[in-house]
Formats: sequence, structure tokens, C-alpha cells
Amino acid sequence: MKPVRRMPRWLARHETLLAAILAIALIVLGAFAQVFLTPDNLLNQGRLMTEIGLIALPMTFIIITGGIDLSVGAIVGLCAIMLGYSWNTFGFPLPLAILFALGVGALAGFMNGLIITRLKVPPLIMTIATLALYRGLAEGVSQAHSVRGYPDWFYVLGQGSVFGVPTQLLILIILIVVAGVALDRTTFGRTLYAIGANETAARFSALPVDRTKLIIYTLSGLASGLAAFVLVSRVTTTRMDMGMGYELDVIAAVVLGGTSIFGGSGTIWGTVIGLVMIQLLKNGLALTGVKGDATIVVIGVALILSVLIASSLQRRRE
Amino acid sequence: MSATTFVAVTTARSGTLRRFASQEALLAVAVIGLAIVVGFINPRFLAARNLSDLLLGNAYIAVAAVGMSMVIVSGNIDISVGALIGVLATLSGSMAVAGIPIALCWLTPLIFGVAVMAAQGAVVAYLRIPAIVVTLGMMSILKGGLISVTGGKWITDLPQKFHLADLNLFGAPMPVVIMVVATVLAALWMRYSAAGRAIYATGGNAEAARLCGVNPRRTVVMVFALHGLFAGLAALVYATQLRVIQSTTPAGLELTVITASVVGGVSILGGVGTVVGSTLAAILIAEITSALVFINVSPYWTDAVRGALILATVIADIVRRQRRAARAWKR
Amino acid sequence: MTDQAPSAAVPLLQVRDIEKTFPGVKALSGVSFEVRAGEVHALLGENGAGKSTLIKIVSGVYRPDSGAILVDGRERHFATPDDAKRAGVATIYQELLLFPELTVAENIFLGHAPRGRIGRIDWAAMRAKAEELLASLEIDDLAADMIVGSLSVGNRQRVEILRALSHDARILIMDEPTAALTESDVTRLFDIVRRLKARGVGIVYISHRLDEIFAIADRVTVLRDGAYVGAREVADTNASELVQMMVGRRIENLFPKTDVPIGPPILEARDVVRRPMTKSVSLTVRAGEIVGLAGLVGSGRSEFAQTIFGVTPAESGEIRLLGTAVKIESPESARAKGIAYVPEDRGVQGLVRAMSVLHNFSLAALNGLSHWGFIDRGAERRMAERGVERFSVRTSSVDEVAGRLSGGNQQKIVLGKWLANNPKLLILDEPTRGIDVGAKAEIHRLMGELAAAGVAILMISSELPEVLGMSDRVLVMREGRLVAEFDRAHATSEAVGAAMMGGDGQVEKAA
Repeated sequence: MKPVRRMPRWLARHETLLAAILAIALIVLGAFAQVFLTPDNLLNQGRLMTEIGLIALPMTFIIITGGIDLSVGAIVGLCAIMLGYSWNTFGFPLPLAILFALGVGALAGFMNGLIITRLKVPPLIMTIATLALYRGLAEGVSQAHSVRGYPDWFYVLGQGSVFGVPTQLLILIILIVVAGVALDRTTFGRTLYAIGANETAARFSALPVDRTKLIIYTLSGLASGLAAFVLVSRVTTTRMDMGMGYELDVIAAVVLGGTSIFGGSGTIWGTVIGLVMIQLLKNGLALTGVKGDATIVVIGVALILSVLIASSLQRRRE
Repeated sequence: MSATTFVAVTTARSGTLRRFASQEALLAVAVIGLAIVVGFINPRFLAARNLSDLLLGNAYIAVAAVGMSMVIVSGNIDISVGALIGVLATLSGSMAVAGIPIALCWLTPLIFGVAVMAAQGAVVAYLRIPAIVVTLGMMSILKGGLISVTGGKWITDLPQKFHLADLNLFGAPMPVVIMVVATVLAALWMRYSAAGRAIYATGGNAEAARLCGVNPRRTVVMVFALHGLFAGLAALVYATQLRVIQSTTPAGLELTVITASVVGGVSILGGVGTVVGSTLAAILIAEITSALVFINVSPYWTDAVRGALILATVIADIVRRQRRAARAWKR
Repeated sequence: MTDQAPSAAVPLLQVRDIEKTFPGVKALSGVSFEVRAGEVHALLGENGAGKSTLIKIVSGVYRPDSGAILVDGRERHFATPDDAKRAGVATIYQELLLFPELTVAENIFLGHAPRGRIGRIDWAAMRAKAEELLASLEIDDLAADMIVGSLSVGNRQRVEILRALSHDARILIMDEPTAALTESDVTRLFDIVRRLKARGVGIVYISHRLDEIFAIADRVTVLRDGAYVGAREVADTNASELVQMMVGRRIENLFPKTDVPIGPPILEARDVVRRPMTKSVSLTVRAGEIVGLAGLVGSGRSEFAQTIFGVTPAESGEIRLLGTAVKIESPESARAKGIAYVPEDRGVQGLVRAMSVLHNFSLAALNGLSHWGFIDRGAERRMAERGVERFSVRTSSVDEVAGRLSGGNQQKIVLGKWLANNPKLLILDEPTRGIDVGAKAEIHRLMGELAAAGVAILMISSELPEVLGMSDRVLVMREGRLVAEFDRAHATSEAVGAAMMGGDGQVEKAA
């Protein structure tokens, strides 16, 4: 018999439900605001959601293992600062500065992972502490100075398009596919699910638990660094308060997409749906005249509600 | 009142000296030691005016840390407290400007604080949603709600009577009085009352607590409610010191409060720690912030120092616990 | 079915035909037990025998599915632990439920402190009552104001006992009380137990240490696999009879191991040490050989196995595989060297219950099933289907959630997942515990086949007939060391049982 690609049945159901809700929301919003369904607007939304989207990919991995990373927003800020600072003050050539910033991000994530696995500090506590530290470092290094005046080619990533598709969105899509395939089809992905479902059994099954955790936290830092690069390129300046509040959007996207906050289940495709829904929410609110700050109220509500619903569904299933 | 006197007063009132865990003593030494060192580098640091400003301006953090310590001891966490304090301060100020009786302006933040926090506690305890998720969501709701409702407008023209913090009680400024009283009462209550000890039990070993007749769920709701009370009190102390209330959340307030609790000896794993420690730590953090200015370090490094402090403390605490567990008898 | 003479007085506590089932496990089937006033009645049995379930039922933590609990001859229903406490039942668990930040007096009266007029706690009265309790048991080296956190384990236990007494407990249950005590602590504990006896308190004493049971208990009841085996007056029985009752089983279709040629040594361990449990162990397992490792609970067998498997790497000593000295730092390292370990705790260590049978089967062999990290799903499915067939795993499909299968089938999956790696050394930790007869026989047959194929097998088991029937050699561990070795011809249940308990099998009763 030819092997059929299978997903656990209930998970497939959750995602189709989400996709259906998404489709309905799109139609409703399109009917309500004419400007919404134009390709221009949709592509622009795609551009705007990339930063969160990039970080949401490794965050999905992390939450599947039952962990969490609250320091992502702070790492974005730190990398943004390091990019501007190393270029402006150290005099690095810009490409080097970009690589440096990415390196800082990866290092920041690596530190998280190292202490979580070696010293067994719970991820929640560790990343709250590094949230404070990394944000503080961003402030200290920048001394609240902004950096501007990047060369034109620098903005291609954040503001340019390739065949009509925003550059960063293209990158995001590629990474989504990579992450999704990795999670679904590789030993790495299987290890993540095992760790989340029963870490002890995963260890006893000779899976590389610590190494895997180290990788995902480092990836989280790296993704935050990449998001910083995209962000700076998009808004043309570097500021120390960049990335503030990102952790909310990222975690909300992952959880909304069906990943259980307790670990053991979730998919990249679900996260993508969650991501789109959040962006949709923001766009819809903006189109109805709600100011930017108020959207976080809705995101907060969405986060709590989705965890509540997921949790009660889980309990009913047991 | 100098820093030294204050520490001595807290010590005496908190009861038996021999119960002073090493963390509190260490903090007291750090507070005094740092003052001496910085005073050596820049004597103006020790000016009475500076020290009293330091204490008065940051007393509200210690008050909030009292409630946060209780939450962490019970095995949970809250990152919405900063946003809540911003909301409550704005609420109180708006009421005062609108001419509502001052007593009501002071009472409302307390009631509202209790209500919001107790609701979160109930969701955590009864719906089994992790505290981090609930409080993360609530933080956004409060933050965004505040901005959209007020539009970021500053509250000016606060009536003179509003300024509770300007009052003196027995010659001591109100913020300090509230801080000391809150700390002492909370410390005594946690140590000697059945409900207070239930918090330690729930945080230390919820299963064991249940077998002893403690109700972990009710305890968690109660702890969050109390936390809301102290948050309301902190908002009051904060708001009534200002001539102008900006309708925003003080940036990074929840992190500072958590840092104060953790540095004060509350173990992030629950079940251990005292509020006296967190008050001392709050003072220490304020002292460090001020000290940086006086030794000509840019204030933009404050947050980095705070972050390093909490990271170091957390790691030390976890490593210490593990070493103790490894030495203990294994079945 | 009881063996003792009917007593004139009504027993303080009686349980009759208690049944309790948890999902997938029948913990207790028709267990009866009783304690008289002023009696120390020991409850004996291996892990999984049902002792702690029985205790939790009597303490009101669980409710029995059927059966009766009688206190003073009257039937009672305990809906909560408080109900049991009010009926006079107090339990002292192995994990002491004390709060280190509080004093002795506060811990004793936690939850029921004497109150003053306005409902506040009356500290003076509390201290006075605590002093009274201390005096009543003639404890003169503890004071009511001492902080419990500063006390030794033995002293903390005494505080727990006092707490039980402060509830006017008439029935005191002690769960493995001497597990963490020094010798002098044990003496003092026995002293207290005797005083309580004299006061008419009925004591249920759970332990697997036979010498203590002979020192302190009046009667002993043995449980095995959730069922009542028998009760004896301590004076009328001896250690080997009790051991037989604990571990012996009806002789079922055990496949005695057929003789196969024994090959070269696969595993050679010399003076392996890993604190705190593995004090120093040296042993050898050869290809085609089944070495049975016997010992009582707490003897350190699983810990040693986990050291060889790399979960808790060795601190000193030498380990050789196929003659070459190796360092095993992690389970990955162990697997790469051809070692497989089927753990004792199936649900927590062996299986990922939430995952499918398919995914569990491949969990330890993913590297072999993948190219450049990508899992070959076809090969994975074929492996799982082959495994289901070969091990006769009863499941509707390989996509079934593993947690829904019966214990025996789950065990087969864990075994199968490791055999997919073709290990040279297979360590089995309680391979047939808690599974049905049929599955047991299948696993034994499998072991025989593996040995015939040249695999070296180290089998940890608490079932003496299994050990005696399957092993080429029997090794006995006690307190972290190897204390005896028997070859097949000389391994008898008396000899092995004696080595497990220590001494020469003769146990003296303390004065």
C-alpha cells in the first residue's frame, strides 16, 4: 500500500476550522471596506507581517517543546541597535554590520538556550530575565540615539519588491516552507514533538534533547535579528525601542494557530494562519478607524480566548 | 530619615532578628555599603535631599513588589502590574479632576485593582491557563485600553487635596509610611496567618498543600486579589506625587517590580521568600539607579544593570536549589 | 482467607474487599486488611503491589470502586483527607509534608491552631500544647520553637508524628518511615512506635525491610500485584516465607531458557560508581547470556542500569564493551555503542503516550530511518508494521495513540523500538511487571530468541520465578553493591532471597 502522508486527525480539523474562519473574515472585511481586497493592500499587509512572521517560526518550535521565549522583542531591539551602531560608530561596512547584527541575535538566543539546558533554568524565567538585560543593553549602547541615512540598496529588503511581491515577504515564504517541512518531515521535527509530549521518554529514547533545545533558542535569536534587519530596512531608521511588544504578537500568532501552550502539538501551517489572522485583525481595525495602540487590546483578548478555547477542547477530549 | 535608620526600623518591627534570612541581611548590607561607596566617589549622593527623593520617588515600587512577591511565592507570575498601575493612576487622577470626592478617588484604584487581579487569578486557578499567558494578554488589554480611552492626554489641574503623597504622618512622608506599613503588615501576615502560610504551601508543593487541607485554587485567587490591592496602593502613591499624570504606563515597571521581588530573595520557583527582602531590594535598585547618575554613568545603562541583576539572581537561586537537592537524601 | 485467629475486640480499622481501578491498571483487587488497637501491623509488598493505593484510600485521598472501610466496626466513607483525619486516621508519607520556614509548634498545628477570643491564633496555647505532646513521647531534644528547616530528617519525622497525634489520631499509617533515617534515628522511631502501641494507637507500618518488620511488627500482611496474598503473626513466620509470598508467583507458562552457546563478554563493568545509589558494581554479561539482576526495592539496580545507559554517567570505574574501554556520557552515546535500555517506568520513561504506535516504534531508530535528516515515512511505517506483527502488538492500526493500548502491548512497543536498533547489549528493567500472562510469556520467548541470536541480556527483575527461570546467572544487588552471584544450578529462591535481604537469612527480633 502506498504510504499516505498523514497528520493526526484532530489537528487537521483544527486547522481547517481556522482556515475557514479566516476565509469568512476575509470576505466580510472585503465587503465592508472596499480597499481591503485590493492586491496593493494585501501585499502591503504581507510586508507588514513579515517581522512577526519570521520570529513566529522558531517560536512555534519552542512552544511545541513546552518552552517559551519572551526575550524576542528585546533581541530585535538589540540587533537593530547593533546594526546601526556598528555601522555608524564602529565604521563597519554595512554588509558586515548586518552580519554582525545577525550574529548578535544568534548569540543572544544561544545564551538563552545554553543556560536553559545546562543550568536547567525554566525558559519562562530565563527569558524574562534576558528580556530585561537585552533591552537594557540596547538602551545603554544606543544612548537613545537613532541612526539614519542608510544607503539606498539597504532599503530593498524592507521596501522593495521582487516581481511585485515585497522582498521580505518572499523571504518569509521561503522560510515558512523550510520550517514547515523541517517540522513535519525531519528527525529534528519529530524530536521537538517528543520533547513537548514527554521529555523524559525522549531522553530515554536517546534523542538529542539538549542539543535540539539549544538549536531552537539560537534560531529564535537569529530570527529576531533577521526581523530587526527587515524592520530597520522598512522604517529607514534604528531606534532603541524597536521590537517592543513583539512577544505578544508572536505568541498570539502561534497559539491562535493551534499550537498548544503546554507543548506536544502544533504546526507551522497553523502558525501561518494565526499570523494572517492577527494581521487581518490589525488591518481591519485600522480600516475602521481604530488607532494603532488599541489593536493590542484586541490581540490580548484574542490570545486569552484562544488559549481558553484550546484548553477546554483539550479537556473535553480527555 | 536616612537609609540606615529606615533599615533599623524595619528590622525591629519585623520581629525576631534571628529569623532574618541571609538574603535580607545581605541586602541591607548592600544598601548601606553602596551608599558609602558612592558617597565616597561623589559626596552629593549622600545629601539628605537626594536620599529622601530617592526613597519617596520609589516607595511605590516597593509597595507593588510586596504584592508581586506574594504572587511569585505562590508559584505564579504577573507581567500586567505595570500596565495596571498606569491605568489605576490615570483613573484616580481623572476622577479627581472631575470633582469626585477625594476619598473615593483614593479608594477606587484599590477596588479596581483587586477586581482585575482577582479575575486573572481565577482564570489561572480554575481554568488552568498558565499565568504568563493570562497576564501577557491582560497587559496588552490594559495598555492598549488606556491609550485608546485617554488618547494619551495628560491629566493636569489636579486638585490640591488629591496629593495624598504630600501628607505627613507623625512627621514621616506618606509614601514612606505606606511602604513601611505595607511591608510590615504583609510580612507579619504571610508569616503568622493561616492564609499567609497557605501561600507558601501552595507555591512550595501544591500537592502536599492539598493533603494538608489547603485549597490551592482559592489561595491563588486570594493572592492575586491581594496583589491587586497592593498594585492599587502603589498606583495611589505614584499618582499622588505627580503634578501631571501622563496617561501611559511607566515603562518597564513590571520588570522593575519583578526584579525587586527576585533580588529580594523570592525564589522564582515558588515557596520561598519574604516581602521584607523585596522592599529592601526595591530600595537597592532605586539606589543603584541614582548612584549611576552620581558617578557619571549614563542613565541609559540603568536598565542593563537591572537586567543583569535579575539574571544573576535567578541563576544563583536555581543553582543553589539544585546543589541543595543533590546533597539531600535521595530515596 | 485470613490466617489469624478471630480477635475478641473489634479492630480499630478494617478494610474489606477493596477494589480500585485506574485507567489501564487494576491497582487493587479484593484486598482486605485490619489493624487492632495497640498493634503494629506491617504491610509488605514490592513496587506496584498496591500498598500506596491502599493507604491513599484509607487516608481519604482516593475513593474505592467497591469494598468497605470500617472504623471501630462502623462503616465510613471518606470523601476527603479531612474526613479520614476526623475519623482518627493519620498518615505519614515518605515525602514529609512540613514547611521548613515555620517552627515545630506551627507545623504541628498547621491548619488547626488553637485560637483566641477574636479568632486570632493563640501562640502561647499552641506552644504549650506542643510542649505537652513532646513530653508525652518523652522527646527531650526538640523544642517547640525550633525552626523545622534546621532539623535533621529523623527529627522532622518526629514532628510529623506529633502532628498526627495532635489530631488525636488513633490509627497511624507510616509509609516507609525508615527510608531516609540513620540507625540511631531508627532506634528512636521504634521507641516512639512502642510508646504509641502502649497508648492503644493502631499502627500500619509499610516497609520492605524485613529486619524492621521482625523487630517492630506484631502482624504482617503481604500484597502482590494488587491482591491480598496472606497475613501472618510475625512470631509464627520467617523471612523466607515472607519473601516467597512477596515475589513468588503461580508457575505459569514461563519459557525456560534454552541453552545456547555463550560467547565473549559484551559488557564488563569494574567498580562503577555513581552517587548516591551505585556504590561500586562490577559485573560481566556475555553474548547469548541472560544475567538476572535481583534485589529489593532501593538496592540500586535501575540506577546502575541507567549509568550503563548514560542517563546518569559513571563517576568512576571502568566500562568495557566488546573488550574496549568506553565512556558512556549520554543515551545517544550508549545507543551508538549498541546498548539498549527498556526502562522500568513504562509510561514516563519508555513511551510517549500521546504519540502514535508508529511514532513510538521509530523513536529510538530515527537516524537509521532518515536520509539527510528527512524521515523515510515508507520505511518507518514498514518497520512499525513489521514490529506490530513480530511482537503481536494488539492494536487497531499503527496510527492508534499508544497511550490507549494495554500495559502488555505498550511494553512490547518499548521493547520493539529498541530492538529495531539491533543492540548488542539489551538491559531490561522489570520487563514483565504489570502485564498479563500471555504478553509475559511472549516477552520471555522473545528474550530466548534474542539470546540465541547472540545478544547479551541483563534483566532486572523483582519476580524471583522469572529470575530463576530465565537467567543463566543470577546476581544480587543490595544497597548499591553486588553481594552475591549464583549460576543456574545453584540459584534457588531461598539462597537468592536470603542474599537480597542480607545477613544469613536469620533475622533477630530486637529486644
